[in-house]
Amino acid sequence: MLSYIIRRLLTMIPMLLVICFLIFVGMELMPTDPISYMVGPEQIANMTPEKLEEMREALGLNRPFIVRFFEWLGGIARGDFGYSLTNGQPIKDIIAAKLPATIELSLYALLISTVFGVFLGILSAVKRGSTTDSALTVLGMVGISIPEFFFGLVMILVFAINLKWLPIGGRTLPEYTSYWQQFRHVIMPATILGISMTAGVMRYSRSSMLDALNRDFLKTARAKGLPKWRIYILHGFRVALTPVVVLIGFRLPTLVGGSVVVEQIFQWPGIGDAFVTAVRGNNYPLVMMIALLTVTMMLAASLIVDVLTALIDPRVRLE
Amino acid sequence: MTQEYIPKGRAKQIARKMDKIDAASKLPPKKQLIKSRSLRKLISNKLSVIGIVIFTVIVLSSIFASVISPYPPGEVNLRESLRAPSWEHPFGTDKLGRDVFSRVLHGGRISILVGLGSALGAAFVGVLFGSYCGYKGGLLDKTVMRISEVFMSFPQMILVLLLVSMVGQSLANLLIIFILTGWGSVYRMTRSQMLSIREEEYVQALRAFGLNDFIICFKHMLPNAIGPIAVNITLSTAMFILQETSLSFLGLGVPVQIATWGNIINAANNMSILQNNWWIWLPVGAVISLFVLSINFIGDGLRDSTDPTQMG
Repeated sequence: MLSYIIRRLLTMIPMLLVICFLIFVGMELMPTDPISYMVGPEQIANMTPEKLEEMREALGLNRPFIVRFFEWLGGIARGDFGYSLTNGQPIKDIIAAKLPATIELSLYALLISTVFGVFLGILSAVKRGSTTDSALTVLGMVGISIPEFFFGLVMILVFAINLKWLPIGGRTLPEYTSYWQQFRHVIMPATILGISMTAGVMRYSRSSMLDALNRDFLKTARAKGLPKWRIYILHGFRVALTPVVVLIGFRLPTLVGGSVVVEQIFQWPGIGDAFVTAVRGNNYPLVMMIALLTVTMMLAASLIVDVLTALIDPRVRLE
Repeated sequence: MTQEYIPKGRAKQIARKMDKIDAASKLPPKKQLIKSRSLRKLISNKLSVIGIVIFTVIVLSSIFASVISPYPPGEVNLRESLRAPSWEHPFGTDKLGRDVFSRVLHGGRISILVGLGSALGAAFVGVLFGSYCGYKGGLLDKTVMRISEVFMSFPQMILVLLLVSMVGQSLANLLIIFILTGWGSVYRMTRSQMLSIREEEYVQALRAFGLNDFIICFKHMLPNAIGPIAVNITLSTAMFILQETSLSFLGLGVPVQIATWGNIINAANNMSILQNNWWIWLPVGAVISLFVLSINFIGDGLRDSTDPTQMG
């Protein structure tokens, strides 16, 4: 098992290095003086042009490209992500401030899509061929076809503007004392993000449940005359769950990238919001760093998923 | 003492069905209008027929936009600003007094063009590399595989926005970006199809005849993988249309001067328009959703009808 994990890690590292390199090249290609995001802004303000040139030399900006790449990489490893172009804040601080909001949103969305997706998927597998099944299939397709932003706008109009049940957007207000007050803000964005992913989970758990229902041991269970719920829940569900877990594992990092639009509609102060703002303001260092962050999360998630599946199903490791 | 067996309840129903089947099997086979089995199956799928109908209506009405639409899409008329839907303006007018209906029709052209164009472009690149690399294997295959892995390790939306920030906004840039970010999945699918077709005996035979690699690969093997590729093209058209509209909604897609579905709905970023002028964004949103839904219906029907494991 350990050797498997190490082997997977070893294939992941060159991949990450290549992506780091591409991102570094991307930053070099941009028409922004790197010194403006490598040094804090108040330091630059106090410097004469000669001092600046000296600083450039000291920072190694005049050194060959490849040397600078490795130094930049070393900086990232030490947690030095550079500075934002627009307000000179360290990128590390921006990410640290925005990431919890995105993770909160993503976890709720993941919860919603998993609960509904797995439940509805198993329901339509158990009742396959029935009206319920085809209605759920159509509903699933409707779910992936409505753009998130349109769905969001309709929900804002109905629940926030007309019914006034939920706040229009934002995450928290200074006068809030309990989490429950803040929770009202997360309901709409999480529902929309969750619904757009439910269809995928549903389709997946339906087919894996159908697969499980055709296995011999389930036929035996049925032949023994076990009650239906026992067959479906204790026997079928357990087998069907493995591939679903894999899917959910892969969903987690895409949520960080996938919440970009939803965060914009609801002014949710997360990574996606920061990303769009950075793209709009040509704030390249921040754009690149967030991209790097999401890639790292994707790769880490795929590693974890692989290890999990290998743990659950020993046949995987042999491949 | 033997009583004649009279079926009851469910058994009766089954017996009746069996009788029908027996009767049908004695009739001469019907003449079939459409020769292709997959096409026949697609037509018999209700959802995909609905999809094809909606798709055709929307595509035709945007192709003939200049004939149907009562006003030019960019015509500004400040005296007619923010009018509610009426006979003169079926979808009302926007802030600048432009007719929303005409804009939706014309916007469809660009949005469909971007969606379909990027899907076809991505499929072209993906199929080109996927079929040849899948067939040949070796160093080229490994290199292209790694490149596709790099592209696919980014969340799609993040990569698209990253590239938009680097190359700037324009229609052509958007197409290129979508093709760049979308070819990976077609490539992988085609490659895996080719890997299994490669093991077929007829391929061995063709190779034994000494046929050119390109001919074996593109003329003899590729047609057998066309089903999943067609499905992929339809589904990715839907995905790219969603992405284009999302990007334009964020103000980062097609430049605002050009009417696209996303740019029209972009106006709803404004609270007062969202609240008071539903006709500006609700019909467009519905059109986008309907169009994407119709493509998804078609794609799903295609998937079922081209899947050789579901014969019949």
